[in-house]
Amino acid sequence: MLFNSLSFIVFLVIVLALYYSKLFNWTGKKRMLLFASYVFYGLWNPPLVILLWISTGVDWITGKKLSTEENQKKRKLWLLLSMCVNLGFLGFFKYGNFLLENFTHLMNSIGVEYQAQPMDIILPMGISFYTFQTMSYTIDMYLKRTERAKTFLDFALYVTFFPQLVAGPIVRAGDLISQFYEEKRATINQFIWGTFLLTIGLFQKVVLADTLLSDTSDQVFGAKGVLSGLDAWTGTLAFSGQIFFDFAGYSTCAIGIALMLGIILPDNFRYPYAAIGFSDLWRRWHISLSTWLRDYLYIPLGGNKHGVLRMYVALMVTMLLGGLWHGAAWTFVIWGALHGIYLVIERLLRNKIQIKINAINGIFLALLTYTLVNFTWVFFRAREFSTAKNMITSMLFMNGDGEKLLQSFDILKVFVLITLLFICHWVMRNTSMEEVSKKTSPWVLGIVWAVMFFLIAIAQGSGEQFIYFQF
Amino acid sequence: MNLKQSLFIAIALSIICLLSWEIYWRSQGKIPDLDDDKNLWAVQRAKVDNATENDAVLLGSSRVLFDFQLDEWQAETGVRPIQLASAGASPLPIFHDIVNNTNYKGTILVGVTPGLFFSTTYPEASPWKRAQSRVDYFKDRTYAQRLNHWLSLPLQKNFVLVSTSEEGWSDDIDLKSLLNNISISNRTGKPQYPPFNSFAYIEEDRNNPMSEKTATDTVFANSIKTVWKFLIMGNQNPPEREATTNFFLADAKKFMERGGNLILVRCPSSGWIKGGEDKFLSREEFWEPLVNASKAKAYYFEDYDQFKNLICPEDSHLSAKDARFFTTELVRIMKADGALSNSKTN
Repeated sequence: MLFNSLSFIVFLVIVLALYYSKLFNWTGKKRMLLFASYVFYGLWNPPLVILLWISTGVDWITGKKLSTEENQKKRKLWLLLSMCVNLGFLGFFKYGNFLLENFTHLMNSIGVEYQAQPMDIILPMGISFYTFQTMSYTIDMYLKRTERAKTFLDFALYVTFFPQLVAGPIVRAGDLISQFYEEKRATINQFIWGTFLLTIGLFQKVVLADTLLSDTSDQVFGAKGVLSGLDAWTGTLAFSGQIFFDFAGYSTCAIGIALMLGIILPDNFRYPYAAIGFSDLWRRWHISLSTWLRDYLYIPLGGNKHGVLRMYVALMVTMLLGGLWHGAAWTFVIWGALHGIYLVIERLLRNKIQIKINAINGIFLALLTYTLVNFTWVFFRAREFSTAKNMITSMLFMNGDGEKLLQSFDILKVFVLITLLFICHWVMRNTSMEEVSKKTSPWVLGIVWAVMFFLIAIAQGSGEQFIYFQF
Repeated sequence: MNLKQSLFIAIALSIICLLSWEIYWRSQGKIPDLDDDKNLWAVQRAKVDNATENDAVLLGSSRVLFDFQLDEWQAETGVRPIQLASAGASPLPIFHDIVNNTNYKGTILVGVTPGLFFSTTYPEASPWKRAQSRVDYFKDRTYAQRLNHWLSLPLQKNFVLVSTSEEGWSDDIDLKSLLNNISISNRTGKPQYPPFNSFAYIEEDRNNPMSEKTATDTVFANSIKTVWKFLIMGNQNPPEREATTNFFLADAKKFMERGGNLILVRCPSSGWIKGGEDKFLSREEFWEPLVNASKAKAYYFEDYDQFKNLICPEDSHLSAKDARFFTTELVRIMKADGALSNSKTN
């Protein structure tokens, strides 16, 4: 089910009505939320709920064993079981065809005649998100960093909680399960703020991403020929805006919906396009994934505790796997590799050059960071390397006679919107929406809210799937 | 931060804005209208799975959609046909789907619009892809998508402001369409697609009469003719007569062997379009070989006196009034031939 759909509105109204009715006690409400979460997921593809059940069951049992088992060897085996099941699902459903394709290429390249039929595998929506979430519980249990969930119901709801089930934020057990232990009710202000966040999230998705940016991005990245520099830049900037509004929009909706239930989810984006440097970027972009990768991959690989070389290797491996997490294609690996290289270079430079950030050099460095990020988005969006190569050369203005694909209004629209996006991120980089709202007159907030709602209503759209669902 | 106050302001302003928007578009002549999208099509396609030998399925391009009026068909036969014709699309992928993925052995009427029927079998070509994408959507649609469609119908039927289309008509009023109509210069230097406004109103069972404006407003009808010219003159792909005919014949044979009743119909066209069809997609070279090889019952509009003088307002489709006449008369002819039966009397 998509947040930007009529069925979700009906679903949410029913869930809220049941949640705030006196029909159930707290345990009953949690059961209702769990059931609703399975309905939310199952309306897309009912049989794939079974994967959720298996993942939930295995990690619940593993957590239970890890909480009592003291034998280190057995603890490791339990952890291994959980990893195998979760990563096995992820590997099969997400990377099965990719592995098969590469194996076939490898065989053919060494002269072995081998042809394999691609497997007809459905990618379960949000599998990367709930797998990482449930794995974080098991790993934290193994490392004794978190308490075991008190009841199976609490744990199952943690894995399946519908606002963040299919596209995050990826929430740690300690941050969410404990919220289920006591009855939660949103205050009036929390409820209204949650509704406001839901409106902003939908506005980002429906109006900004789908209505204003997606067509330009699709047109440019779907072009067969070599484009002019202006067209290539417009398409890439459009995609940079589209993916931000799409994903940040989903996260904002998720946080808002959870808040309407009195549950607090962590921020997932903090104005990333105003980041100064790449370490800063990853503290602002998809925060729940970057902290997951830091805690469960980068640090276990050695982090910065075992010398500079090991740190760089850990950084590169983390970013390469982070790239692969986004999709089973080499273009995603290159995207990760570029971010890894950026991070390594930034750390090398930081040791040599000390810059005191002020408003003027800050905005320049933010713009530089954003420009470099755009080169990575090319690999993220392009389905083939040839497209990425053409785009990059065009963006470097090396294709003087490239085709003019876009109309003037499309270019103007994208540049105006992306400029506003960048300015907005820069202005907001050290504050939050809530802080700004507190200082804003209720009238202005109400008018902004109404304008967003009106634009959502007249944009409506066909309920385009959120980009991150496929990850 | 006084959120309650902001919420009340937002609700009040939203209601005012939406009401104003609705009133404005109604004052511009818009009326609530359904979108002939993949969901509407899929609901009809699902009916074929449970259809009996007494049922009738209409396939083809937009001519079948416009020219066959379901009320008249039902009045003549006692059966309301399932309308699966798809505008701008080849009927071949949909016929292939029904023949190969259902056990249906009732009547299938296939409209032969030469420019589309004989266009291609290439999966990425527009006439094929448009039809195949609907077949694929029918197979893949989720329960959430079905629910969304079901919930959207009462809104579409009652509010102009939710009006939008999968087709992307120039007179659509959703935000994206309104923005797409803004042009400050032709930077690409390529010919611009002429304005293509919606010229029919579709009903929930996909009964699709031409709008009165198209039938009576010559300027408006001419704007549609301009689009046909743009599309036809811009099409560089020659027809694939053999490939399309053979593809169809294989399915036709299979369908008739299991007892299905196959009818081919060439609907009326006029003016510039008919001239082009007669010259480049002639009856002798395209229609006749298809009919002879398929052994299906076949009806060519020019063979009947009552249809010879029908004029299509925009050269390609009948007005609602003429479509009602055409349907009634043709069904009567088909019944007289034994091509159709009257399930009421049966």
